[in-house]
Amino acid sequence: MNDLIYGLVTGAIFGFLLQKARVIRYDKQIAALRLMDMTIVKFMFTTVLVAMVGVYLLKDLELVKLSIKTTILGGNIIGGLIFGIGWALLGYCPGTSLGALGEGRYDSIWGIIGMLTGAALFAELFPLMKRTVLTWGNFGKITIPGILGINHWIVIIVMVILGVLMFRFFEKKGL
Amino acid sequence: MGNISEPKGWNPYLAGALTGLLLILSVWAAGKYFGASTTFVRGAGFVEQTFSQERVATMEYFKKEMPKIDWQWMFVVGIFFGSVIAAGTSKSFRWQGVPAMWENRFGPNKAKRAAAAFLGGTIAMFGARLADG
Repeated sequence: MNDLIYGLVTGAIFGFLLQKARVIRYDKQIAALRLMDMTIVKFMFTTVLVAMVGVYLLKDLELVKLSIKTTILGGNIIGGLIFGIGWALLGYCPGTSLGALGEGRYDSIWGIIGMLTGAALFAELFPLMKRTVLTWGNFGKITIPGILGINHWIVIIVMVILGVLMFRFFEKKGL
Repeated sequence: MGNISEPKGWNPYLAGALTGLLLILSVWAAGKYFGASTTFVRGAGFVEQTFSQERVATMEYFKKEMPKIDWQWMFVVGIFFGSVIAAGTSKSFRWQGVPAMWENRFGPNKAKRAAAAFLGGTIAMFGARLADG
């Protein structure tokens, strides 16, 4: 029960911030894919950088656990490419489609129905995918510092520097 | 782009950083990382259950991601309400079936936009699940 309340409140704050930053609407998402307006990339990457520092800090203090997904190149690459095609057609992300509906962009309803259909389709084809694509290049639960065999803070610092340089580039180009 | 009357949004770095803090808090307090696409699998499972409960019960993927209301389900519902509140308090709610950028390129036909959104959603979710994202 607590879990459900945490979920609802966390989602509501997230949806509030997404809407306030104007990042959930079609025009913003597609403008990013067309390399015309990097607002959503600024938002996302800032979130990633801040969360990366905070979560690893808490992990070092043994207060939280990481949730590392399995790296399967077949699934990650082919799935990523397919997702990109669908995202460009839809113009909403799975989570933000609900937020887009919340600000009245009701074409997202068709996207939501489509995504339920896509999930159902995947459930049908899962046994086949498991035998094929999802066996290609399975590296297990790996991380960048893990592969390189270095302290995670080195990777974090490098990522933060790269992120800031990217942001500076966007601002200089007026993106 | 286009919207004259609407107030400018928050700085994306600020809103992004606040979202980062929210994520840290969520992981700390509830042990939950953000995600949305699993909820669509559970949602599809719910819909299919109304047709055939037995069939859903035997499908491997629905055994893995059972149709149930969990943290992420409520998180996704929360996104909707959070957006309603933010849009309602900033004069940026707009009942619109064809986005401006789409209309400029493909015209005002709502059915055309609906078809693309449906097809795009189907493809996107299939890809997201394949990538385990």
